[in-house]
Amino acid sequence: MIYFDNAATSWPKPAAVRAALSDYVGDAGGNPGRSGHRMSVAAARIVERAREALAELFHAHDPSRIVFTQNATQALNQALYGLLRPGDHVVTTSVEHNSVMRPLRHLETLGVELTVVSCNRDGMLDLNRVRRALRPGTRLLVTTHGSNVVGTLTPVVALAALAREQGIPYLVDASQTAGAIPIDVQEMGVDLLAFTGHKALLGPTGTGGLYIREGVVLAPLMRGGTGSDSAQETQPEFLPDAYESGTLNVAGIAGLGAGVRFLSEIGIEAVQAHERKLVAQFLAGAAEISGITLYGPKDAALQCGVVSFNVAGAMPSEVGLILDQSFGIMARTGLHCAPSAHRTLGTFPTGTVRFSFGWFNTSAEVGLALEALREIAVWAANGAVVSARGDPG
Amino acid sequence: MDGLISFFASHYAIRAEVVLKRNGLAAHLIPGPKELSPNCGVALRFDYAQRENVLTVLAAKSVQIDGVHFYRPRTDEWNVRQAESR
Repeated sequence: MIYFDNAATSWPKPAAVRAALSDYVGDAGGNPGRSGHRMSVAAARIVERAREALAELFHAHDPSRIVFTQNATQALNQALYGLLRPGDHVVTTSVEHNSVMRPLRHLETLGVELTVVSCNRDGMLDLNRVRRALRPGTRLLVTTHGSNVVGTLTPVVALAALAREQGIPYLVDASQTAGAIPIDVQEMGVDLLAFTGHKALLGPTGTGGLYIREGVVLAPLMRGGTGSDSAQETQPEFLPDAYESGTLNVAGIAGLGAGVRFLSEIGIEAVQAHERKLVAQFLAGAAEISGITLYGPKDAALQCGVVSFNVAGAMPSEVGLILDQSFGIMARTGLHCAPSAHRTLGTFPTGTVRFSFGWFNTSAEVGLALEALREIAVWAANGAVVSARGDPG
Repeated sequence: MDGLISFFASHYAIRAEVVLKRNGLAAHLIPGPKELSPNCGVALRFDYAQRENVLTVLAAKSVQIDGVHFYRPRTDEWNVRQAESR
């Protein structure tokens, strides 16, 4: 079996991740921050160790500025709803995932003004267009770090500089890059970084978080019990508790911490180099297959470990089905929760077939996938896929 | 250990223990006594004589604290037995 759906969730997870989940459920067991006994402390140690590992990974000086969420979506919602008020203006791009686009479209109905800067057909962003979109009432710039559809990387450093000139915070959706591409929030000048735990960070689903630069104040998305300031009926204002109401997903965070430590030992640079090599191999191989259309920059240096393509004469869903049923290759097909991105690429509404590579994928697997695509392309060109669909003719 | 630090949140208590131990300072987390530590379940015991070193290290690492106390609880006279492990 070949798993090329790491942009949806990574698989497999390191053995240490499984062990950490099991250790928490089996041994540590307590509720962090709710009691002072040793099992509660053991659970709190797990959470704080993971928080520290993430702070180191992203070069955040103070671990308390990393708050845990259920996923990147919750982190993005926390940032967007925590910051934007009716009358504010916000700038984003046309390749955003619905985890950014849907909250923004909803905020628009509440009176927030939204400018969506169009990227070109490869998903590349023109900085001048962003510069022109910024205006005195602009309150926030939000972009993805790497497209979940075609892998196109966003020039985050230059965008952070634009935001700084404008005196507004810059929110980055690092769902596809955290754990796969080095991220230094200091060097990049990012003010808010939303990440998921279950993709390149190799943790379990139900984990994610938000880095909040010192000085950036957000209204909490949720309020509730934190284990702290218990005599008060109002939400504490100190981090991380201000944004961590309710019992955390400790089992998940235990696994996430183990995933981050696994990656830190390898080094994110090594992960990036590995994925780039696989992307380059795939792009070179696929470009030679007649009937395959590649999308995105088609340059491994300009994208993360995500590639998107279509096969002439076949629907993406058909290619995905054949890849799964006949070749044991797991791909994701369709719109990838990013209709705006597909409109940008010109692939709306049918979408594309997406391969997303991870640390555990190999060059041999990419070779096998290319062979499979060669067969599928011939098959589709001969109309075999169309008749299998039951079309007349 | 005759010093006790109370915290606003367990994040800071756990972090305090980590950074103090890394700096060679004794630190031990305990269920916080209610009269000194109203804010979260856990408090940190340390050697009161090391008070200045401890506070310097915590400040350098941005670990927020609620209060520093001289603390000799009645429970120290209790003959604490090693809890049986499962």
